[in-house]
Amino acid sequence: MKKFFVLLTVLLSFSMLISAQTLSEAQIRQKINEVASQMKSMQCDFTQTKNLKMLNDKLVSKGKMYYQQNNKLRWEYVSPYAYVFLLNNSKVYLKSNQHNDVIDVQQNKIFKEIARIMMNSVVGNCLNDDKDFSVKISDIANEYVANLSPLRKDMKQMFQKIILHFNKKNSTVSMVELVEKNGDKTVIELSNVQINSKIDAKVFTVD
Amino acid sequence: MRKYLLLISLFCATIFAHAQVHFPQTEGERARYTASIEMQKAHISGICIMAYQEGRINGSLFNEFGISAMDFSYVPEKDKVKLYHVISMLNKWYIKMTLKKDLKRLIHTLQDGKNEYVNEKRHIKYIFTPLIASEDGIAE
Repeated sequence: MKKFFVLLTVLLSFSMLISAQTLSEAQIRQKINEVASQMKSMQCDFTQTKNLKMLNDKLVSKGKMYYQQNNKLRWEYVSPYAYVFLLNNSKVYLKSNQHNDVIDVQQNKIFKEIARIMMNSVVGNCLNDDKDFSVKISDIANEYVANLSPLRKDMKQMFQKIILHFNKKNSTVSMVELVEKNGDKTVIELSNVQINSKIDAKVFTVD
Repeated sequence: MRKYLLLISLFCATIFAHAQVHFPQTEGERARYTASIEMQKAHISGICIMAYQEGRINGSLFNEFGISAMDFSYVPEKDKVKLYHVISMLNKWYIKMTLKKDLKRLIHTLQDGKNEYVNEKRHIKYIFTPLIASEDGIAE
C-alpha cells in the first residue's frame, strides 16, 4: 500500500511538472496574439527555399521584408532575381525588371487575399483566421508550431497546409512553410528580425 | 594593378556566363529562367526551371513567392508537351490547349538560343531570360 502511494505521488508530480512546462493551445494562441497586437513594425531578412518535387530541385531566393501597422508591407527579393511586392493600404505595387504595376486590392480579389495572407502570416494573425483555416498549435522544444489547414475552396486548390513556426523567446514568426497540392514546398526563414524599430517611410513608397 | 583586377573580373564573369545552360540538351542538365508572359490585358511573371531527366525535359513554372502555376514535360522524340498540376485559374481546356502549343514553340525557340516567342494569333509574348546564378542565390 505504501509503495502504491509513493508511485501515485511520483506519477502525479510528474504529470504536474509536464503541464507546468508545456502551454495549452489556448495559452499559446493568447501569447502570440498579445505580441502581434503590440507589433507596430517588423523588419527582417528572409531566405526562401522552393522545393520542386517533380524536378527534385530547389531554388533559394533571398530578400528583405518590412511591415508596418496598418496595412504596409514591403516584400523584396534581391537574389537571384529582383522583385518587389509593396502593399500600402489599398494599393499593391509590383516591380520586376520588366514591369511596374499598381493594383487596387479592393478591386482585385486574388491580390487582396495574397496581401492579407502574407501580412497575417508574418505578424502571426493567421491563427485568428477561423473562416480560412483550421488551426492546430503545438508546443515543440524551442518553438510553437501552428498547422493551418485551408477551409476555403480556392485556398484548398493551392495549399495542402501552411505551417507557421514561432520563436518561443519572443512569440514571433521565425519560419513559414507553404505545402502545395502538387507536393512542392516553399520554406521562408526569417532572420535578423527587428520588432518595433523605426522604418523609413520611403520603404513603403515606389521609387 | 586596377586594370589587372578588372581583367580578372571580366574573365571570371565570362567563364561564369558560359557556365550557364541556356537550355537543357543532355541528361542531367538544368536551366533556370525569369519568365514573363505578356497578354493583351495582363501579364504574369515568375520563375521557370527546366531539367533534362530520363529522356525528357521536365519543367516547373511558379511565381516569385514560390507558388506553382504548373508543371510540364516535353518529350523531344514525340515533340509533345504535357501539362500537370495546372493552377485552377489556368485550368480551363482552351487555356491549356494554347499553353501546350505555346510551350512547345517556346522550347524550340530556347533550343535555338533565343529567349522570346510570340503567339501572333493570340497576342501572347513569352520572354524567358536565363537567371544568372550568384554565389548565394541558387542552391545546388
